[in-house]
Formats: sequence, C-alpha cells, structure tokens
Amino acid sequence: MPDNQTTEFAELRQLLVGPEQRRLEALADRLDGMGITPAELADLLPEAIALRSRRDQQLGRALAPTVETALRESIRRNPREIATAIFPVLGPAIRKAIAETMASLVRSINSAVEHSLSPRGLKWRLESWRTGVSFPEIVIKHSLVYRVEQVFLIHAETGLLLCHVSASDLKLPDADLISGMLTAIQDFVRDSFRPAEGGTLRTFSVGDHTVHVEAGPAAVIAAVVRGEAPEGLLRRLQFALESIHLEFATALAEFSGDAAPFEPVRPVLADCLETVLAEPGTGSRKTWLTWALPLLLLVALGAGLAIRSSLRWRRAIAALDAEPGIVVIGGTRDWGRWQIHGLKDPVARDPEAVVRAAGVSVAFLGRWEPYLSLDSAVVVARARKAIGAPADLAMLLRRDTLVLLGTVPLNWLRSIRLADRVVGVGSVNVGELALTLPPDLDSLRRSVATTLVRFDPGSADLTGGASATVAGLAASVRSLVAGVTGAGAWVRIELVGRTDPSGSDLTNQDLAQRRIDRVAARFREAGIAEAVLVPRPVATGRPLASDDPAERARINRSVAVQVTVASRSIDGGKP
Amino acid sequence: MLQKKICMVGVYGTGKTCLVQRYVHSIFSARYLSTVGVKIDRKEIALDGQSVMLLLWDLEGRDDHHDVNTSYLRGAHGLIYVVDGTRRETYDQIFEIRDIVTAALGPIPSAVAINKTDLTAEWKLTPADEAAVETHGLHRVRTSAKTGEGVEAMFQWLARSAVGGNGAAQ
Repeated sequence: MPDNQTTEFAELRQLLVGPEQRRLEALADRLDGMGITPAELADLLPEAIALRSRRDQQLGRALAPTVETALRESIRRNPREIATAIFPVLGPAIRKAIAETMASLVRSINSAVEHSLSPRGLKWRLESWRTGVSFPEIVIKHSLVYRVEQVFLIHAETGLLLCHVSASDLKLPDADLISGMLTAIQDFVRDSFRPAEGGTLRTFSVGDHTVHVEAGPAAVIAAVVRGEAPEGLLRRLQFALESIHLEFATALAEFSGDAAPFEPVRPVLADCLETVLAEPGTGSRKTWLTWALPLLLLVALGAGLAIRSSLRWRRAIAALDAEPGIVVIGGTRDWGRWQIHGLKDPVARDPEAVVRAAGVSVAFLGRWEPYLSLDSAVVVARARKAIGAPADLAMLLRRDTLVLLGTVPLNWLRSIRLADRVVGVGSVNVGELALTLPPDLDSLRRSVATTLVRFDPGSADLTGGASATVAGLAASVRSLVAGVTGAGAWVRIELVGRTDPSGSDLTNQDLAQRRIDRVAARFREAGIAEAVLVPRPVATGRPLASDDPAERARINRSVAVQVTVASRSIDGGKP
Repeated sequence: MLQKKICMVGVYGTGKTCLVQRYVHSIFSARYLSTVGVKIDRKEIALDGQSVMLLLWDLEGRDDHHDVNTSYLRGAHGLIYVVDGTRRETYDQIFEIRDIVTAALGPIPSAVAINKTDLTAEWKLTPADEAAVETHGLHRVRTSAKTGEGVEAMFQWLARSAVGGNGAAQ
C-alpha cells in the first residue's frame, strides 16, 4: 500500500504541478551548469573587462600571449592589412625620429663650422692633427660641459653586467670586464679602508673622466662622465637605481647569470646619457669678429687693388693725353679689361709704347680714328717723314715756319723746300743749312779758287796767257753757277783784285778795280750773270803771301775768284 | 647571454694567472693582481649550442701576508683551486682555503687544477694525493699551462656545472 500511495502521489503531483516542476528542473540545470549563456556573456563582457582592467594588470597579462599569437597569425595571413592599419602611427614616429637625427646632425655641423675657422678652431685642428684624435672629438673635448658616455647596471653580488648603454659614437667592447673590475675595485676600497656601514666608493676620476657609482642593495649603477657632472645627474642615477630595484626586485634576487630579463632597463639607463655643450652665446660676437677680420682684409686688399688700378689708369690716360698726336676721347675699365678710344695722328707714337714708357705695363684695346695734329712735334715728325730726313738733321717749328739746321748735300735742297706742303708747315727756312757740293762742282770750285789771273806790272790788260786763263775760269765759273743755282742754292762769285806794293794807294786801288772790270767783262761775255759777280778791289790790302819778294809781287798782280755757295740769298748772290 | 663568474684561488705561484692566460686573451695587465688583488678576464664558450660568457676572476695568490680575499668571491658561480704539483704545500693548503671559501659562499661547483704536469721530474704528489681530492668532493683535473693539457676541459666542466646550477662534485 505505501508503494501504491507513493505512485499515486507522484501521479497527482504530476497532474497538479507538472509544468512548474519541469521549469524548476530546467532552472536547476542552468544553475548547476556554467550559469551564463553566450548571449548573456556578450552583454557582460565589455563591462567585465573594464572592471578588471581598473582593478589590476592580470587581464592584460593573461591576454598578451593570445593577442600576440593572433597578431602574428594575422600578419602572416595578410601583412598589408596590418601595415595599412598601423601606418598612421608609424609614419609620425619615423618622421619624428628622422627629424631628431637631422637636428642633431645640424647641431654638430653648426658646432664644427663655428669652430673650424676661428683661431680657436684652427688651434683645435692643429691639436687634432698633432694628437691624431678626430676633429669632432677635439671640439667636444673643449666645448663640453659634461657628457655621460656610459652607464652600467651591475649585479652587486657577482659583479656581472646586467645592462650597459653608451653614447653612440663610443666603441667599448669590454663593458663586462669593466663591470667586473668596477666591482672588484669597490670591494678593494671597502676592504682597504673599512668605511662605516654602507660606505662605498662614490666617485673616482681618471683624466677628464669621472666615474659616478650609485650602489643599491642588489645592483650598482655606474656612470662614466666626461667633464663636470651636475648634482642633478647624480639624483637621476639614484632615481633610476631605485626604480630598477623596485621593478626588478625578483629578477635581481634570482639572477644567475642571465641578463635577458634586464633588457627593459635599457631605456631607463639611456635616459641618463646626455651631452651638454657650452652655450655659444658670447662666442657669437667673436665669431662675427673672426669673420669680419678676414673680410676687412679682403675688402682692404680689393680697395688697394682698385686704387692701384685707378692710379694706373689715370697715369696711362695722362701719358696719352700729353703725347703729341694723340687725343683721348674716352675709355672704359671693366674687370681689368681696358678699352681706350680717341684720335691719333698717323705719325704719332704707338699708344701702347706711350703707356709703357709711362711705367704702366698693361695691354689694352685701343680704337683710334686718324687725324692730323698741328702740334709742333707732330708737324716736325710729319715733315721729317715727308722729306726722308736723316736723324742728324735738326728741325724745329717757329710758328708755322719749319727751320732746318745742319749740313745737307746741295741736291737735297729742292726736296727739302717741298716740306712747305706738309700740313702745319707754312714755310720752310733752310737758311741755317750748310751745303756740301757734289764732287764735280766741288772740284770746279777748288780749281777756280786756286787759279789766278795775272797781270803785268801797272797794267790791267789781259795778255795772251791771262786771256786763256780767264777763258778757262769763265767756263768753270759758269758751270759752277749753273750747277748751284740749278739746285736752288745761291752762289756768290767774288773777284778779288790785287796789285803789287809799288805805286801809290790811289793808283793801286784804281788799277785793282780796272783789273776786276776786265775779268768781269770777260765773265759777262761768257754768260755769267752780272748779279752773282761781286768786285773786291783789295789792291795791297789782303796780299797773298810768299817768301820770295819778286814772286810775292808777281802773284799779287792778279785777280782771284772766290766762290761762296749758300742756301739762302746772300749779298750779291742769286739763285 | 648567460654570464658566469668563475674565481681562481690557490697559493701564490701555483700558476693561476698562467692558466687564465692560456685560456683567454687578456686585456688587463697582471699588475692589477698586485695592486687591486684581482684581475678579471673573459671567455665566451659554447655549451650545447648556447653561448656562455665566463668572467674569470683571477685572485691574488695566498701567501704569508695575504689570505684569500673573500670579498672577491661573492656571487661566484664556480671555483677553481689551483695546486702546483711540484710544491706539496700548495696541495695541503687547498683544504684550508676550501674551508674559508665554503664558509663565505656555501657549496658551489668547484674544480681542482693539479697544475704544472709538464714538470714530471719535480713532481711531489702521489697518485693517492691526487685521488684524495675527489674523496673531498672536488672535481680533479690535471693541467699544464705550458702545454695546455686539461685547461680547456676544466673550464668546460666548470661552465657546465655552473650553468646546470647544481652543486655537482662538491
């Protein structure tokens, strides 16, 4: 019966609350299971992530491997998609990095340029050349306030290197050894001096390098500084060391030689690297001076050259202006190229020779128009050229009269007279010229001069011998006169009448005159012009000399013929 | 790269520095030994395809005036005791030194280099002496800085033990 009752009760319950019971069972199932459907999870997930992220970093750490895998997978499948997505982030970052590199390059170039031409820069160059150290390093050495060149993070217990950063231009392959030695030295100092608790070697200097050591319980930070490091740097080292102890406490404690976990420290150490150079502030004026001085010299040099050129130009122009037969009208002078133009008489000197003679040796381009100068020197030169006169024939111009001085052959006289056709010559004065006779006329003149027409004592009659002598003389004199006058010169035939000393002066004077008249008459008969004949009845006045008194009397009873040739009219003479 | 600090200890004149120089190319001069009391060298070795950098701290030898400077031993991953096979006292002192070192460092991988094996005529150790080293729990290597015998093998063994991190062959 109880069994029966149980069954009935169950049936009854099934009939009464069956649907409710099934719903209760479904609810119980869900409560026993995970409790959350995907649909519910989708609603809750964003809020849950936000909540957890606020609380701690656990979620990030948990997701990191999955995200990395997902990212790797995505890049493997389609790299372009990721590249496109991160481009807006990468682009500016790359630009910024490049800009910083360029800025640093420009700074170093500026610095090098600033120092390269100053006296100090030259001194540094010399030092660089002498010591074999590169110039930029010398510049840094001298203009450096301080520079943190290397930073070591050292494991305190083992002395092993955890991390090391150095300025990019330094090459130090032995950082791990230096790390060990730094630790050994620390130990050595501590053992040697036994300082109070916690005392360590804080700084030591070698040359212009100082090593600053900050020691912590598990790690030591050491910075190699060139120059004077400020207090701020030491604080920064302390701060870095503290934060490393905080963040890497476990890694430091568990360190057994593997430095890989300390790789994230690198940026912290890199932050401590810095270079501070002297401000160029006051240097700029000096720089200006260093530029100005050579510039000033250059300007002075240029001005000097310009002045010299100008002086030379003026001297050349003055010389040309002063030169007869040259008239300078204008000229240009560009960059040492001289051009001069003006007028030049054909007989004037070569302008370049004129300039050279003035002590200015310069080649220039001359443009000369021909003209005729009335300058006396040019006129004389022109006349000289026209005549073809020899150098020893002196010429000068008095007003417009060309005066010739010297001795010329008789037959030149005609062509010399033609000089009055030369421009600038009004007339020609040949009166001062002495003439030389051609050989035939000269021998005639000499034979005439040595011939005496002799007379009997007290007589003016031409006896047979005398008559023949007069006839020969007349022929000679006629030829002589014809030759001289034909050449354009004047001639004078003096008939010198003499007597012996016997008789009175009066009768002798008369006798001398009569003797001349007889000879003159015969000359006229022979065709000799009256005008050229000049009677000189000297009687006993200018006797011819002889040792023998009889001979002396004989030769003085005579008429002598004297011939004078002149280039101008002479008293009694005629061309 | 994995780094391991290895210290060389022993009596003065046993050839520690010569062993190191046989093994590495030094950049520091031996003067450091007499001034600071230690000289550090470096040797990179390959161990099962992995690079290990050994930093070899060559400590000034023990004599009547200087005991082993335990400051320099701090953090060491391996230790080499060097004995001069031609000077018996260097062998005897090894065990004293070992007591000092163990007190300072606790158990770490250690080897004994029985050095100067090239000088057989002057040899002062019996095979029993040499074997006794191992009964004291130290790895024994016969070495000669002159011929190079055993040097490579010794450092290799020590590097392996140090990397293994165990207290092998104590």
